[in-house]
Amino acid sequence: MNTSLLAGAVLNGMVTGMLYALMGVGLSLILGLLNIPNFAHGVLYALGAYVMISGAKAFGFLGGLLAAIVAVAMLGAAIEYFGVRRLYRVHPDYILLLSFGLSLILTESIILVWGPVGITFQPPALLTGAVDLGVTAYPKYRLVVMVVTTVLVLGCYLFVTRTRYGAIIRAGIEDKEMAAALGINIRRVFTLTFAAGTGLAGLGGALMSPVRGLLPTMGIDILPFAFVVVVLGGLGSLPGAILAGLLVGVVQSLMTAIWAPGADASVFALMTLGIIARPQGLLGQR
Amino acid sequence: MTRGALLRFGLLLAAIVALPLAVRPVVASEIWIFAIAGMALNLIFGYTGMLSFGQATFFGLAAYTAGLMMIHWHAPLLVVLAAGTVVGALAAAAIGYVCIQRVGTYFIMLTFGFNQMFFFIAYKWTAVTGGDDGLPGIPRPPLALGPLAIRLDSSLRYYVFVAAVFLLAFYAMKRIVDSPLGVIFQSIRENPGRAAAVGYDVKRYKWIAFTIAGGFTGFAGVLYSMMFGIVPLESISWIISGDIVFMVLIGGIGNLYGPLLGAAAFKWLSEAISVVWERWPLILGVALVLVVLFLRGGLVEAFRRLRDALGPRARPEPGAKLPVGIAAETEAGS
Repeated sequence: MNTSLLAGAVLNGMVTGMLYALMGVGLSLILGLLNIPNFAHGVLYALGAYVMISGAKAFGFLGGLLAAIVAVAMLGAAIEYFGVRRLYRVHPDYILLLSFGLSLILTESIILVWGPVGITFQPPALLTGAVDLGVTAYPKYRLVVMVVTTVLVLGCYLFVTRTRYGAIIRAGIEDKEMAAALGINIRRVFTLTFAAGTGLAGLGGALMSPVRGLLPTMGIDILPFAFVVVVLGGLGSLPGAILAGLLVGVVQSLMTAIWAPGADASVFALMTLGIIARPQGLLGQR
Repeated sequence: MTRGALLRFGLLLAAIVALPLAVRPVVASEIWIFAIAGMALNLIFGYTGMLSFGQATFFGLAAYTAGLMMIHWHAPLLVVLAAGTVVGALAAAAIGYVCIQRVGTYFIMLTFGFNQMFFFIAYKWTAVTGGDDGLPGIPRPPLALGPLAIRLDSSLRYYVFVAAVFLLAFYAMKRIVDSPLGVIFQSIRENPGRAAAVGYDVKRYKWIAFTIAGGFTGFAGVLYSMMFGIVPLESISWIISGDIVFMVLIGGIGNLYGPLLGAAAFKWLSEAISVVWERWPLILGVALVLVVLFLRGGLVEAFRRLRDALGPRARPEPGAKLPVGIAAETEAGS
């Protein structure tokens, strides 16, 4: 394999890796705070992509992005407010089953609205074409996606670690009852965190739609990788999710270049090794 | 057996006889096949408290193993049934060993992740599995009992065979659940910390439960592979894993008859609705959401509520166990 191909594979891996990190950060926050694996995270990613293409038709590319993040975040808030909230006092497995049911409903709804066949979507004219990076020429749009997702993920990290509201979220992850006893409206924090986490997933889907195209099953296809990122990175650890996201993305992409049939399986092999070596995750505390 | 237990078993036998009259024999066979897979999940979810979202791993691996053995080696029926059960149990022992290192959410995500891994292997390894097209051309060998070879070539004959082995599996599962081992499983579900404190090696028993369930699921997978003469790629996908979870939940968790009711309701409904509307998983999703929000005990709970509403003589049966919903309704995570 020559350097140009190798560089292309690594760059592709970093693009997907940052997307996984974006999904993983949202999942990880929801998981840390609400103690639920959000099975609907994948389909909300898909919904973001579909809202994007419809929104882009009406309001242009940036309008589509905005529509995607707002629509998916609002849906996320509604799911938490009307569904998940009713189940906090019950075993967490039921919340997982609820999100699985919602995942089925939303996938089928996407097929009903946008049809079962794949759709391709072009990035705006300004961002088409490739840039010569010296080692290899690389599509301009993908570089933009990589930069945007990196900024978003770092922004989340800084928000959670450096702001007052981030401190509230961390307090909630640490001890919900104590946080509530100190006068924090923990229920509202739950709803907002759920909305933010799902909104990030919707934005991820919207950003990736010109890269990967759209398919009703795109959400459920990406979900296991987002789970791997959370498990590998460590519960509630945002740096862990970023590291694991990049690791998974690059390994997957390199394996695709070397031996495509084993690419997806290698990711799960990586997770297995990670779990055996460090059960708490790469950067997890517990 | 108590009077209630005898009555329930009598109803089960009646259902086995009546089912092929009510639905096509193929659907009737599917119901008992998935009832076996549902019983297996019930053992680990309902009785031991571990929700596996990857049971299709064992279902599909056994189905592919059986299919390949029958296509390439013309292996006899009982041999493939045994082989599929062993493959399911061994795969569950290996995967389960990793998964039980974590609990709760992590456990669920790990089982799901492994399921996807095997799905991707089956999807990409087309030379062996046929990939997206499935593995076709699987014969249905006759049942050889000594000199006697019983043909299973019609769907009704196959139904009789499936119903018979289902009863064997049901009996085996009942023995496991009622045994001291079954009680240990339930103690782990109720309170893993206390089970460990009284001296049980919780991880070891979880591993045992997971492995047993893998064997049962593999057994069901073999039966499935022979039904249509093809192993579809779907049989190893998360869709089947989700279906199995769904059946157990809709039927009622932690009750031996729950998965049976759930499998019957699920297969019958999907058969009836899928003819009318291609997007039937939408209805499935709505039903799942409603069950989770309003009827967490499933159909068994619905029957109980109905009985309580109709008759004032709602007294607990002598010797009846405590009502089993998963892990009671506590906030304690698994």
